[in-house]
Amino acid sequence: MSAPEPSDEALLARYRGGEGPAFEILYARHRQGLYRFLLGLSGKTELAEEVYQETWLSLIRSTSQPQGRANFRTWLYQIARNRLIDHWRKHGIHHPLHDSYDEQAHALFDEATDPELLLSLSRDSQRLETALQNLPADQREVFLLRTHGDLDLPQIATLTATPLETVKSRLRYAQQKLRRLLAEEVLT
Amino acid sequence: MTDARTTPEDEVVKHYREHATGEPSAHLDSLILGVAHRETPMPKPSVWQRWVQVCQKPRWQVAFASLVGVTLMVALVQRTPEQAPSYDFTPAPKMSAPVAKKEAAPAARALAAPAPMADIAAPAQSESINAGMAEESKVSKRTAVPPNQLDEQLREVIRLQDAGQAPAADALLKALHLRFPTENLIGRLGDLRKN
Repeated sequence: MSAPEPSDEALLARYRGGEGPAFEILYARHRQGLYRFLLGLSGKTELAEEVYQETWLSLIRSTSQPQGRANFRTWLYQIARNRLIDHWRKHGIHHPLHDSYDEQAHALFDEATDPELLLSLSRDSQRLETALQNLPADQREVFLLRTHGDLDLPQIATLTATPLETVKSRLRYAQQKLRRLLAEEVLT
Repeated sequence: MTDARTTPEDEVVKHYREHATGEPSAHLDSLILGVAHRETPMPKPSVWQRWVQVCQKPRWQVAFASLVGVTLMVALVQRTPEQAPSYDFTPAPKMSAPVAKKEAAPAARALAAPAPMADIAAPAQSESINAGMAEESKVSKRTAVPPNQLDEQLREVIRLQDAGQAPAADALLKALHLRFPTENLIGRLGDLRKN
């Protein structure tokens, strides 16, 4: 019977206590998800890499720990999100996560989609990426946190400082739109 | 984290998890892991290691040395009365040299007696030394009767005799005989009269 894998928080504590290999395990667990979250949210490889690097270096050099009810995963994605927003502000780029979005209008449109189209979702990576970038930024963020961050809805609500019901509706609309966009691509 | 019921929306999440691409480059991985390796925090020293480090600092060394010194002094001061030997006699500090020699002779004799036993058993030697010291103490006490006091008394006897108070002089002499049975009081009285 093998021992249970150490939690992220335990690995971080071990690294902070001087155990270097603990960080390698922690990094391996989150490298892909965090990178894909940043790539999907920023839409640019160079920017995603820059923020990704800054996030990990910040974590390495910081002595702080996840506070309150936040676990390591939420904390890591919070750092990355803040870094990306800082980058946008620093370069005078309009903060896309602050865009208002008429979710009701999208809901009416999405409800007309045929559920059978689920069977023929495109697997083409370019089409997946394009469909993702067609989402409003706040919906895309929730979808990416759910998909690549593997965060549950209350965690996403806490991280984005958004009411839980809003998070739920954003995720639902994002999924409906993606399903429609990917299915349409296949049909044409 | 995930709901057990699978909805069409959840299928989209699953679909993206399975088919999404994008990986950090090997260069980025090595850079981050390299920094993490280089900047791994130093292990926290144990309580004992911290104590040793503190002791290695000069100012703390001085402080600890001072503390130890004061402690030793206090301990010595407190223990001194308990350790002080309680001898029956003490050497007369103001004794003149000839008297000191006279006093030393019986003491040396007393100490010489148990000497042959010294190589047999140390405790026996210790006991004999103690016995010798007790004996010496008795002799010392006896001889330590102030000669001036006796002479004073004898001079008083002479004064009474000269004053015609013979009964009083005889009574005092009788008392001195009782008090100093080994002394030749008559001879000593004669010496005093000659002087």
